[in-house]
Amino acid sequence: MENVDPTLIKGLAIGLGAIGPAIGVGLIGAAAVGAIGRNPEMQGRILSTAFIMAGLVDAVLAFVLLIVFTTG
Amino acid sequence: MLSLDFAIDAAPLAAEEIFNIGPLAITNSMLLGLAAAFFTLLVLGLAASLSQLQPRFKLAFYLESLVDLILKTATDSFGDRQKALKHLPFLATLFIFILVSNLSGLLPGVDTLQAKVDGHDVSLFRSFTTDLNATLAMAILTIGLVQFYALRELGLKGHIKHYFSSKPWNPINLFIGLNEIFSELLRIVTLSMRLFGVIYAGEVLLFTVGQLAGNFAWAATLPIMFLEIFFCLVQAYIFMMLTAAYLSMSTTNNALESRKSAKEGRTQVRLEAAH
Repeated sequence: MENVDPTLIKGLAIGLGAIGPAIGVGLIGAAAVGAIGRNPEMQGRILSTAFIMAGLVDAVLAFVLLIVFTTG
Repeated sequence: MLSLDFAIDAAPLAAEEIFNIGPLAITNSMLLGLAAAFFTLLVLGLAASLSQLQPRFKLAFYLESLVDLILKTATDSFGDRQKALKHLPFLATLFIFILVSNLSGLLPGVDTLQAKVDGHDVSLFRSFTTDLNATLAMAILTIGLVQFYALRELGLKGHIKHYFSSKPWNPINLFIGLNEIFSELLRIVTLSMRLFGVIYAGEVLLFTVGQLAGNFAWAATLPIMFLEIFFCLVQAYIFMMLTAAYLSMSTTNNALESRKSAKEGRTQVRLEAAH
């Protein structure tokens, strides 16, 4: 294990850590588009809720970036 | 002491001391935090003094619309305009101050201007919300205020009932209550870590992309800059909305509400049976 290049570990951390938030944002987007399709007059409120949810999910990716950037 | 230079390293995780006032160490994030607070106070005070029934000044008009927007979202999440008006000052303060602090990290000169302190280079300014101390302080203040309002609205007995329901010695209720108390503590961690993580990672991301692009950093960081402005807005909004949600959750009396709605439901059923 001691011969592993640290940049490889960093790349793997970003790549694997981005899977979860990517799926999450995709689900949020799909649900928001579906909801707007069902009742288009609620578009504003649905979109603002969707942005909040996307922000909550993005925090996970931010944690991954934080860990990657701050470890030497 | 203050020989200005430009940074070649990303900001370290912890904020650094610039100078001491007695035993109090002033860090670079505190400097910009104070500046952001004074700026906010100045602009909002100016807008408040210019505010009129028939708006003639654009500044006052825009800030009034901003406060109105905050009031509208707060009303949506409390479901009660009176309650929203009561909590509006705290929510508006949180939103505007966090937004100004977040955006101040994107100004030119912040993080890049350096001062020499005790022989090594330290960046002179640093955005207030990229310091975990700052976000932790705000999160503790928020959760403390939520507990305070919960105790004042429901009383000690009602507040304990809120966690453990009315039969606390039922093992399941006890377990759920302990879980709820743990989640209350965890809210402090998530609130602070979310804001800190997103804003700090964003600034390091900007720096890293700039390093990677070399001479074309001005072009490469531009889209990331817009992304950062979006994140700053969203994070300030999320902090405010979560605070509003915690406040409205812990200050409503669940037992009373459910009893009221059950009574209403029963009368409805009786009415339907009578028809």
